[in-house]
Amino acid sequence: MKFFIDDLPIIFPYDRIYPEQYAYMCDLKRTLDATGHCLLEMPSGTGKTVSLLSLIVSYQQFYPTKRKLIYCSRTVPEIEKALSELQRLMDYRRDCAETDEQREKEKNFYGIGLTSRKNLCIHPEVSKEKKGKVVDARCRDLTNSAVCTKGRENPGSVELCDWHENLGKLEPGNLIPPGIWTLADVLQHGRENKICPYFLVRRMMPFVDVIIYSFHYLLDPKVAEQVSKELTKDAIVVFDEAHNIDNVCIESLSIDLTRPMLDSAARSVVKLGDNIDEIKKTDASKLQDEYAKLVEGLQEASNDEDAFVSNPVLPEDLLKEAIPGNIRKAEHFVAFLKRFVEYLKTRMRVLHVVAETPLSFLQHLKDITYIERRPLRFCAERLQSLVRTLELSRLDELSSLQKVASFATLVATYEKGFLLILEPFETDNATVPNPIFHLTCLDPSIAIKPVFERFSSVVITSGTLSPLDMYPKMLQFTPVVQETYSMTLTRNSFLPLVITRGSDQVAISSRFEVRNDPAVVRNFGSILIEYSKIVPDGIVAFFPSYLYMESIVAAWNDMGILNEVWKHKLIFVETPDANETSIALENYRRACDNGRGAVLLSVARGKVSEGIDFDHNYGRAVIMFGVPYQYTESRILKARLEYLRDAYRIRESEFLGFDAMRNAAQCVGRVLRGKTDWGLMVFADKRFARADKRAKLPRWINQYITETASNLSTDMALTLSKQFMRMISQNPNENQTGISLWTLEDIEKAQAKQKELALLQEVERRDTALMDADDDDEYGDGGIDDEALGAIDLDV
Amino acid sequence: MPSIVCSAQASYKKLPGLLELTDTHLQWTKTGDQSPVVKFPYAEAAALSRSKAGAEQVRLKIGLVSNEAGHNFTFTSPQAVALAERDKFEAELTTIIARNRAPPPQAQFPAVATSKARQVATPAPVTNGSAAGTPMRPPAPHARPSQSRAVSVASESRASDTPVGDSPTTDFRLRKKVLVSTPELAQLHRELVMGGHITENEFWEGREHLLLAQAAAESQKRGKPGQLVDPRPQSVDGEVKIIITPQLVHDIFEEFPVVAKAYSENVPEKLSEAEFWSRYFQSRLFNAHRASIRSSAAQHVVKDDPILDKYLEKDDDDIEPRRLREERVDTFIDLGATSVDHEETGNERDITMQAGKQRAVLPLIRKFNEHSTRLLDTALGGPSVKRRRLENGEERYAQLDLEDLHDNQSSAGIILDMKDRQRYFDGRANGAEQGDPEGPRVAFREALQQAKASTTGWSANLAQLRIEKKAGDAALISMTQNVQSRLDVKQRKHDIPEALFRQMTTCQTAANEFLRQFWLAIYPPANEFQQLSVATPAQKTAKALKMIAYLSKTHEKVEALVAEAQREQVDPNRIRVAMKPILDAVDKALSFWQFKNADKAPGVR
Repeated sequence: MKFFIDDLPIIFPYDRIYPEQYAYMCDLKRTLDATGHCLLEMPSGTGKTVSLLSLIVSYQQFYPTKRKLIYCSRTVPEIEKALSELQRLMDYRRDCAETDEQREKEKNFYGIGLTSRKNLCIHPEVSKEKKGKVVDARCRDLTNSAVCTKGRENPGSVELCDWHENLGKLEPGNLIPPGIWTLADVLQHGRENKICPYFLVRRMMPFVDVIIYSFHYLLDPKVAEQVSKELTKDAIVVFDEAHNIDNVCIESLSIDLTRPMLDSAARSVVKLGDNIDEIKKTDASKLQDEYAKLVEGLQEASNDEDAFVSNPVLPEDLLKEAIPGNIRKAEHFVAFLKRFVEYLKTRMRVLHVVAETPLSFLQHLKDITYIERRPLRFCAERLQSLVRTLELSRLDELSSLQKVASFATLVATYEKGFLLILEPFETDNATVPNPIFHLTCLDPSIAIKPVFERFSSVVITSGTLSPLDMYPKMLQFTPVVQETYSMTLTRNSFLPLVITRGSDQVAISSRFEVRNDPAVVRNFGSILIEYSKIVPDGIVAFFPSYLYMESIVAAWNDMGILNEVWKHKLIFVETPDANETSIALENYRRACDNGRGAVLLSVARGKVSEGIDFDHNYGRAVIMFGVPYQYTESRILKARLEYLRDAYRIRESEFLGFDAMRNAAQCVGRVLRGKTDWGLMVFADKRFARADKRAKLPRWINQYITETASNLSTDMALTLSKQFMRMISQNPNENQTGISLWTLEDIEKAQAKQKELALLQEVERRDTALMDADDDDEYGDGGIDDEALGAIDLDV
Repeated sequence: MPSIVCSAQASYKKLPGLLELTDTHLQWTKTGDQSPVVKFPYAEAAALSRSKAGAEQVRLKIGLVSNEAGHNFTFTSPQAVALAERDKFEAELTTIIARNRAPPPQAQFPAVATSKARQVATPAPVTNGSAAGTPMRPPAPHARPSQSRAVSVASESRASDTPVGDSPTTDFRLRKKVLVSTPELAQLHRELVMGGHITENEFWEGREHLLLAQAAAESQKRGKPGQLVDPRPQSVDGEVKIIITPQLVHDIFEEFPVVAKAYSENVPEKLSEAEFWSRYFQSRLFNAHRASIRSSAAQHVVKDDPILDKYLEKDDDDIEPRRLREERVDTFIDLGATSVDHEETGNERDITMQAGKQRAVLPLIRKFNEHSTRLLDTALGGPSVKRRRLENGEERYAQLDLEDLHDNQSSAGIILDMKDRQRYFDGRANGAEQGDPEGPRVAFREALQQAKASTTGWSANLAQLRIEKKAGDAALISMTQNVQSRLDVKQRKHDIPEALFRQMTTCQTAANEFLRQFWLAIYPPANEFQQLSVATPAQKTAKALKMIAYLSKTHEKVEALVAEAQREQVDPNRIRVAMKPILDAVDKALSFWQFKNADKAPGVR
């Protein structure tokens, strides 16, 4: 359908539209017009992505400025889905185009997705490597500019990547025909034409209209520096599924060091030293050149594609000055690194927990080793320069040293919002030390600040952003539009239920003190058994943590609970390995398609809870066992809570509750896709019954939790569920059109109404203005008018 | 006579007799008797257990699908002979039971069956003789051979008017089942078919869907039960033991191929069968196979076993699994791709969120996943096929589609097949063109003026409006009467005598059935479902004629009922009212038939 929002023609690839989609698009347009940021919470499964893309592409194609769209998502499946969605949209737009000129314009629209080398490599050997890091390193060995020049001058002298070479022969900016390319499409195109898909995407980035990649490519300075530097300021940035964006921000500036890593770093330092000695004998001029450049403070204009240790700090915090003298010479720098690694190793020997600020760490460091802050800040940059000069290969072996250098640079750059925590033991009762040195970022606003400053429109959207005012507070920005949409339904297509106690009236909770109580475990188990009896096809169950899931699976097995479940459904469980879990997931879906039905046990905040949809028969019920609180004994979490309290006045309990509920909502929200889909949402914990907890759920879920459904025992919940399923399986008689589905006419009607309303308001305002004038006259009996009253400084 | 696979002297319920395994049945005949006392088809066999190796009596117990308690046979020959005989029976029955439990797709059938059992797959006509003699049990839902046999049985008993065919619509057994499950239909059947009014086939015509549904319900195979193979020790007479049954052995072999391997390599050369199992259940291997992490508590019971320990594999408790399928899954659910999408950054997750911290649970979790996958593969016949490329287009979009946002696709409709359609449209188009210049053009001004003129003084007109009183009263009265009569009916008791009422119902349903048959003969056949037989037009006419004959008697019947009612002192009008709709329908059919024949008559003759 085609309709207008103000003067903007929107092409929407369906015949009808949900009212919330329309409202969402209107608000989005308002944001883009105002060139500001916005925060939009849209119910899961109501076609958020398609509305977003549909509006923004319409916007791009209509206005001559052609603002680029940078669309960030969390996971590769979601990236691929967004690309497919975009592909379908563009197909539709092409079919809808009225003139040839327009059609041509739609055809020339570029959209691509970027992911790692590991996911995009088609080199027969390199792609076989299991680890992403190794693929990166081996790819660099075959494609970096030094090797390439050598190989081209003297064919056969060094091994090059044919796919990369073939790509180089193509005309830049025209490496791939226009259109929307999903990751699978790009891979296929690469295979067919024998060109490298990864570099194809990287090099096409400046020329495309839409680029889709994960959050890290924009937020993590180590990656963003290489990938996203050239993006223009007027680009529209979208963070989809952004409910966990604060965690991504924090992650991108935090680093852990362990003892094995330090050992490996020490070995790398020795190796670097050897390399320097060798090069001194063979080609000493290289080192001298490098030194000369560093003296002059020349920032080497390196090719971004070669970069390996890019700077871990944000661009604006980079020092634009020459590298300090004491680490300019290669051998001096190596000695410097050695000293620093040794220092860290000594610190690791401490057997008690240490928490200190970066400043105190630096002070101690200086006292012991005389290492100053300034050279430390340049550590990462200097290492990069040295590695390039030495023309090293297999850089994955240097990754530990790289981490140490990043650690050094970060700790020397930031004073506020960071904390160093040394934990000598993994758990409180462990006796064998396994020390970890955490450098943790506590303030998510640090990493996202450059994004807000650089790009004029940043859209943060998800199915769960409640309470909305939390995000502007945490991320330190002022949205121009901040909105949450409820779900219009002609009949309730989902049933949220809160089970607070088992059929035996024992309260159930995943609270630490009672979670392993046999009565609670059994009651959780009987919920699963009973639901596996009555729910068709797929059931997904989420646990608050891996630890709890693993222990409860073992307990259920021994109690014979799983044996009961086996009678009705197959059981699949999330495992630590991502690929293994994917296969389990695939089989789970096959079991649902086949009608055998299955139960999938997984973890909130885990791999499965993010980015996998359980719509239609893949999830007829989601059971949330317990409230997915974070582990409050974690020192990092404690530090973060303290920081949030001090810096932003967010209370600990408030944040913890918010965090738990957003994850719970995220889990249960994955069952719905479209308004004809249906599912049960079971919250099994007595704490869900509390009003303050439920208030933190998104409105679209909360509004459908009835008073009776908020405090149920298992048997009552089952009765309600059966009733619901009987009801929902009927053919809906009532016509949804006009209420939860809008046709073009409905949109126009709504627009006309809105216009009328606006007009009315305008009139009213004018009237009241007139009235106000009258008012003054009315009380013209010598009384004091309101304004004067306000102005009086009463001394009360 | 059916060929005997094996036979042995055995007692059943303490009576001596002969136990025989034919190629379709297991039967036991009491000594001196002619026909077997116990007899059931292969498909019935569900479980098998036997007495211990050293026990005094050599026994074999067979559980049935319909009867779990099953039958107990004691082999009465001298010990050595009895043992050999029992083993033979056991071997045969184990394969049969295994086949019953997991009915493989047809193509695989001969491959699974042993050479002797192969004869079973092709139903031999010889068996029917014996099968017909005994009262037939309803065969188990998943029994394929018995089903085909049932067809042939049906053909023997009702050769007269039941056409023989493979299709379920002609299966006598299915018809019987449908009739048994729906008493109303059975009643109708009794009256019309048994009463000789219509034939069996005519009765089922138009009811094929019932038969098809029944056939579908029967052919639905029972899948493998989902539970894990986890033999748990039971305490018998204070002694803790694990009872091994042949199908437990079969299940263990299937679930743990390594045990099958160990068994085939060691039995009987190095270990006897009994020894093998007792050692296995005490070995580390068994402990590793148990689906429990508590087994560590039983560690001290576990003995070192030089033979079985060789088959022990390392626990699969690493973060990465030992065995992993190589190919990638669909990108939409590829979690692995996300984990390598960018370098790991940030702090380690807290201790509760590190997956696989409880290493002992990992093998258990993997066992669940593998077990589920195995069950799924046996049900679907093989692992998922690689279809990534295929998924790219339509299916991908289908996963993203919000189906309720599409307009309802109205069906294209059936094109009216008409002679010279083109000409017809041409003609119309021409006509339209010609008519166009004058037709739709309206003199707007004039029309507007007219409309205006007609509305002048409307308020005065409205004021003058008088509604005639009579009509309003009449309407009100009629409504009141309606309510009254309804109330009347509601309050009046059901006072028609039982016998008369039954007669009325019978008359009604019979007439209905005749009507159905009549219209079925008149209307063109619906192509959607399988037809019993495609009748030729001549047959149809004949049938319609017959039905009309029946139908024309309906009036008489009703009159008879009315007369009866008078005798019983029931208001005959009530009978008339009750039978009016059916009489109307009959009249309609009759007049249609007359009209049709009158219309046809000059044309045909």
